[in-house]
Amino acid sequence: MSFDVLFNQFMSGIARGALLFLVASGLSLTFGVLRVLNFAHGSIYMLGAFVTYSIWKYLLIPVVGFYIATILGALVMGGLGILMEFFLLRRLYARGWPEQLLATYAVVLIITDLVKWGWGGEFLSIPRPKPFAGAIALFGFPFPSYNFFVIIIGVALVVFLWWLVYRTRLGDIIRAAAHDREMVSALGIPIPWLFTWIFVLGAMIAGLSGGVAGPYGAIALGMDIEIIVECFAVVVIGGMGSLPGTLLGSIIVGQVYSFGIMYKPELALAFIFMVMAVVLIIRPWGIFGRPER
Amino acid sequence: MRRLVTIILLVFAVSLIAAPMVMAQAKPAKEPAKPAAKPAAPKDPIKLGVIYCFAGPCYMLSESAINGIRIAAEEINAKGGILGRKLDVIVRDTEMKVDVGARETKDLMLREKVNFLEGPCSSGVGLAMQVVHSEYKILRVTTMANTEAQVVDKFTPYIVQVVPNTYMEAIAATRYMNKKYPAAKKFCTIAPDYEFGRREESAFEEEVKRLVPDSEILYQAWPKPGEKDFTAFITAIMAKKPDAVHSSLFGGDLVAFTKQAAPYGFFEKTPFIALYDLPVLLALGADAPEGTMGFGRGCFFMDPNPKMMQFVEKYRKVRGAYPDSWAVQAYDGVYLIKAAVEKAKTVETDAVIKAMEGISLDSLRGKFFIRPLDHMGSVPCYQGVIAKDPQYPFKIWKDNSRIPGDQVWRSEAGVREVWKKTGVVR
Repeated sequence: MSFDVLFNQFMSGIARGALLFLVASGLSLTFGVLRVLNFAHGSIYMLGAFVTYSIWKYLLIPVVGFYIATILGALVMGGLGILMEFFLLRRLYARGWPEQLLATYAVVLIITDLVKWGWGGEFLSIPRPKPFAGAIALFGFPFPSYNFFVIIIGVALVVFLWWLVYRTRLGDIIRAAAHDREMVSALGIPIPWLFTWIFVLGAMIAGLSGGVAGPYGAIALGMDIEIIVECFAVVVIGGMGSLPGTLLGSIIVGQVYSFGIMYKPELALAFIFMVMAVVLIIRPWGIFGRPER
Repeated sequence: MRRLVTIILLVFAVSLIAAPMVMAQAKPAKEPAKPAAKPAAPKDPIKLGVIYCFAGPCYMLSESAINGIRIAAEEINAKGGILGRKLDVIVRDTEMKVDVGARETKDLMLREKVNFLEGPCSSGVGLAMQVVHSEYKILRVTTMANTEAQVVDKFTPYIVQVVPNTYMEAIAATRYMNKKYPAAKKFCTIAPDYEFGRREESAFEEEVKRLVPDSEILYQAWPKPGEKDFTAFITAIMAKKPDAVHSSLFGGDLVAFTKQAAPYGFFEKTPFIALYDLPVLLALGADAPEGTMGFGRGCFFMDPNPKMMQFVEKYRKVRGAYPDSWAVQAYDGVYLIKAAVEKAKTVETDAVIKAMEGISLDSLRGKFFIRPLDHMGSVPCYQGVIAKDPQYPFKIWKDNSRIPGDQVWRSEAGVREVWKKTGVVR
């Protein structure tokens, strides 16, 4: 097996990992602070993709139209996040996980039907925007430049979240709230307000990822469940609520899948969940996670 | 606590309201005005139970089918119905679930007392329904779910298929690819990992060995249905340097594959054939790879005969869009039922089945007949090469090929051989 073949397969895995990280980071952030496993995170991602498509189609501005649409799409999903947190999640923090899962699963069904209603279940496609439409040569082999764009967005999000969580006062509060919310509340910090904005941030990340996924593949019903299942694998492997863990989990899942496809395509998907099972046996709280108190 | 209950109730209420709204979209909401002078139907209407899958990847296909069926029913009723009886269409949704499909089928037969069934979209659901309606002796015409198992492995007399089955479709596409690239010897395949994809690729393997005896299959990729990231599959296939790639990817998955493969120069380097039909070409727009081969089940640019083009005009007037092959096949399905009932002069299932066997229909896709042995229609398979056409705002095909079904279907002896294995007695 020559170097360029292996390198190309490795880069395919990185691109897949980058898209997974975009979605999983929002899921992990919400879980880390709010302690809510948001099953509807993938649905916000899907709705974000459809909304971005409609905005892009409406604007019809060449070149920059897609980027504007993606940002607007993320903002719209942020707005949806406010509604969802205020009317639903806020009332569930004190409840058990089964109820949280059921309620967020209800949102999955609602959003699926909303998409059917609004877009008629069609599959849609946004062409790759300039300057990421073509390919660049990497060791003499073409590599799609849009994949680079996805990787860049992924890296930017890692840096932004790291800065936010570890280098700002808000980040101190977020980490403190994840650790002990009663104590933070006792210090006079309005926890409900904090939770709303964290959830909105998570929803915006999901919306952004949906927008970015539009030119990457296709926009279609079912993309929500497809991504959320793999995101669960990512956060379970990396550790629920851990930023470095989510990053590592995304890279592992991307690479395992990519090389699985190369050597044993029938089992590529199974390999991911085998890794997940092994992690669950050895470190049930994930590679970078903390054991539950 | 009370607030929580309120919220849960609210969520349920919203979903209860949303569901019928969605269904209303799928159902007759935008039905055009019926012709004013309806000829009097002296007897009870003939009831056609139409059951498709309004979920996931099947949603759009099912909607198209319903449109085709409604147009056919309106035409038939405007001309006095069938045997002087009006044709009533009752629509049901399987949600693309095997159990719901079986339940709704039963409900259509027992409560609505339908005379015939048409549908569904998913091959898996179709197989489950077949067990139920065969037990109650109701005939179903399948226009979309195309697994060969319905007419071959698990044949019952209560099924008629007017969509090229997985075997025919793959054999025809393989022949076309071989004609275009006769020197190709090393192949890869990529297909969705379920009933449909597995059957198409096994037929491809069979035919390519017949056509090119020293051929070799280097690598087979099985992405899960609904996969949206094919990058790793594409690099793995390209690493094998195949002469050509056969695929049964379709719909949104094919759109995603195409966009991801193009920057690698995949389509310039590798001859490729897949289900590039109208919805895929519409979604891809300028991204559709010119010069790449497609196969399909019969829409206007594949078979622009006068009857087809008339249907296109009508469909565009009513629905404001071009009809795809799903609408065409569903439309043909209704006319097949009409022809068989008129030949039998009754709606009794046994008599209609008898009339069905060997019947010939002048359809939107030209003439085809129903093979008496396995109730498979000799419906044509279409192939072509993606190309621009100044007449349309999207890309269509050139170098079209129309292979009649009776040239590519499994021989009667072949069908009997499978029956021996699966225990079908006929």
